[in-house]
Amino acid sequence: MSITPFVPSWQYYRRKIAGATMLALCYLSAVLAIVPLVLIFFYTINRGVSYLNLDFFIQMPKPVGEPGGGMANAIVGTLVLVATGSAIGLPIGILTGIYLAEFGNNKFAYFARFMTDVLSGVPSIVAGVVAYGLVVVPMKHFSAAAGGVALAILMIPTVTRTTEEMIRLVPHSYREAALALGIPMWKTTMQIVVRTAFRGIITGILLSIARIAGETAPLLFTALGNRFWSTSLDQPIGSLTVFIYDYAKAPFEDWNNQAWAAALVLIILISGLSLAVRVVTRSKFVQR
Amino acid sequence: MTTDVISRSTTLSAKPTEKQGQSTSVKMTARNINAFFGKVQALYDVNLDIAGNRVLAIIGPSGCGKSTFLRCLNRMHEVAGGTMTGTVELDGQNIYGTDAVLVRKRVGMVFQKANPFPTMSIFDNVAIGLRLTGGVPKSQMNDVVEHSLKQAALWDEVKDSLNKSGVSLSGGQQQRLCIARTLAVNPEVILMDEPASALDPIATAKIEELIYELKKDFTIVIVTHNMQQAARVSNTTAFFYMGKLIEFDETKTIFTSPKQKQTEDYITGRFG
Amino acid sequence: MSRHYELELDQLRTLLIRMGSLVEEQIDYAVRALTEGDQRLAQLVMERDKKIDEFDIAVDERCMSIFALNQPVAIDLRLLMAALKINNELERIGDIAVNLAERVESLALYPDFVRGTSLAEMAFAARDMMKRAIDSFVNSDPSLAKQVLESDDYIDQLDRATFERMTKTMRESPELVGPACHILILSRHIERLADHATNIAEDVIFLVNARIIKHHADESPAE
Repeated sequence: MSITPFVPSWQYYRRKIAGATMLALCYLSAVLAIVPLVLIFFYTINRGVSYLNLDFFIQMPKPVGEPGGGMANAIVGTLVLVATGSAIGLPIGILTGIYLAEFGNNKFAYFARFMTDVLSGVPSIVAGVVAYGLVVVPMKHFSAAAGGVALAILMIPTVTRTTEEMIRLVPHSYREAALALGIPMWKTTMQIVVRTAFRGIITGILLSIARIAGETAPLLFTALGNRFWSTSLDQPIGSLTVFIYDYAKAPFEDWNNQAWAAALVLIILISGLSLAVRVVTRSKFVQR
Repeated sequence: MTTDVISRSTTLSAKPTEKQGQSTSVKMTARNINAFFGKVQALYDVNLDIAGNRVLAIIGPSGCGKSTFLRCLNRMHEVAGGTMTGTVELDGQNIYGTDAVLVRKRVGMVFQKANPFPTMSIFDNVAIGLRLTGGVPKSQMNDVVEHSLKQAALWDEVKDSLNKSGVSLSGGQQQRLCIARTLAVNPEVILMDEPASALDPIATAKIEELIYELKKDFTIVIVTHNMQQAARVSNTTAFFYMGKLIEFDETKTIFTSPKQKQTEDYITGRFG
Repeated sequence: MSRHYELELDQLRTLLIRMGSLVEEQIDYAVRALTEGDQRLAQLVMERDKKIDEFDIAVDERCMSIFALNQPVAIDLRLLMAALKINNELERIGDIAVNLAERVESLALYPDFVRGTSLAEMAFAARDMMKRAIDSFVNSDPSLAKQVLESDDYIDQLDRATFERMTKTMRESPELVGPACHILILSRHIERLADHATNIAEDVIFLVNARIIKHHADESPAE
């Protein structure tokens, strides 16, 4: 019996080279995707970090010409706006997502899903206009509440679609298992299905919060901006983004620098938020 | 002295289970079951009596309607969008005359693929049914979980790791965890849909032994495409083919002298 | 891990053991009826053969059910095969007891003649073989089974000696041709009884050692 030696063919080398090339391209693309983020981060730190000090966080803005001062009102304002937007947008978004995923096999659901898709494509400034029409005009003045509504309109489609997608990823077998235990449908959905999809839903929520925290346009004619301290939903309120917008285009170098610092704070705020929630919602169990 | 020999020998030739004086009264009755998925008819006029505290095996080739029939017994076919006509009675009460949730508490189900809830610990997986259907105070939960795991012959393997994830267990253990989860809500009937088809032979043997033990306390209906498994675990066997119940008899009779040619051809491996 | 059909295997074993002791008793009674000319005892033996037939059917059915429902392998499979064969041998031994009993009436007039032969000695030796064969099955003891195989030669010797003595008797005393013929046939029956006991012993060795020794199969392996 003759022994067949292992002789690689030329196709073998071609496959090896093709494989290595594609792998290298994948690595390259991953690096390219990370580069802008890293650039933004370092550039912002580079320009803004020297203007960050305690005063920046606890002081109010100073008039032009006066050095120092801070953005305490804008930081709190951003938090208030995001909180208001989330308070309105998250329940609506999550419940809509659950509805579409679990009971979304009818015409109304198809319509709702389509409208959600359209809504997610709406430019953010349009959301501001809608909130202006819905809240500012009847109230006859700008307010934090109006800003919150505008942000809520922006976050609803993101939350809805990610919630729906995440719940759809939960295998049908878990629903069946729960129902077969005699657990009612609504408890099955809320306690079993949503619980299983929880991490995914949280990620969606985070993404949407990060998105609205960085919005400027819809706030311009809803929350307007405020150089003074306010936490009232009824009054105009300052925010980091609007502050950055105002200060960055101002012809004063001092203000420009403070805009950089504000941008840095915003970035830290958002990444800190997403990091924190990720730690909190880390699964108790190592997923296989 | 001679008649004594005969009477004892005839007792011995009967099945050992029947000697224990268990009730073999009818637990569930299916009458004129026709089941449909959309316009496709899956079952044709099935009539079957399910005896209490015994194991009924349902065998037949793929697509013969055996799983559909099983699901009609606790209305799980409704979850998959199926419809049916006819009646299914549990202790003489029509299960289609009440809420499906109430039915499923009394007629539990174990599925083909072990599906412990992935975000829950072993303990929670067993406790969840009771927690969400109520009726058991928290103080008793530990006892119920322990009892259920013992009944499912899993306690010794997991008692030190009750807080670990249910999905950290092996396939066979996961399936026994699912059985414990079903037992915890204390159903009267347990439906099993090919519970061992995804397991290795040792894990399968453990499940089969478990089924044999469980019939003391529960009525069990098992769907299996493994004829040998049906022979090993069941008291009675029903053979389904093309949505019809072809033959239903004592398992021993089905596997030694079936009355229908189709049954004989199927169990001898001549078709299907 | 316990296997639930262990119980059924045990019951099969018990059934065979009970059948074995009944058959043993049948042989005992038959031989006693012969040597004592007790026709009532012979009658009882013939009547009780029905019970052995019932055991025979019960063992067959039980084996069939275990084969069909539990797909036995290895030791379990050998047990079932041995059980089927031992069952068969026991049933045949039961028939031999009946054959012995049937001749009690014809020999009743010659009790002294019967006692003068080695028939009783043969019968008890054969019964003893059978008893040990069954014991070897009960205790799964192949060495006891081997002893049974060795005893067979003794019975064969007695059978040949009886044959010679009876032909001699027939030549010398023609009036005793009738009973002598009966004795010849009985002797042959008892020799067959010993053969059945030997077969049981061989089955036991197969059951325990998974070795087929009958027909000297292991001495000349097939090429």
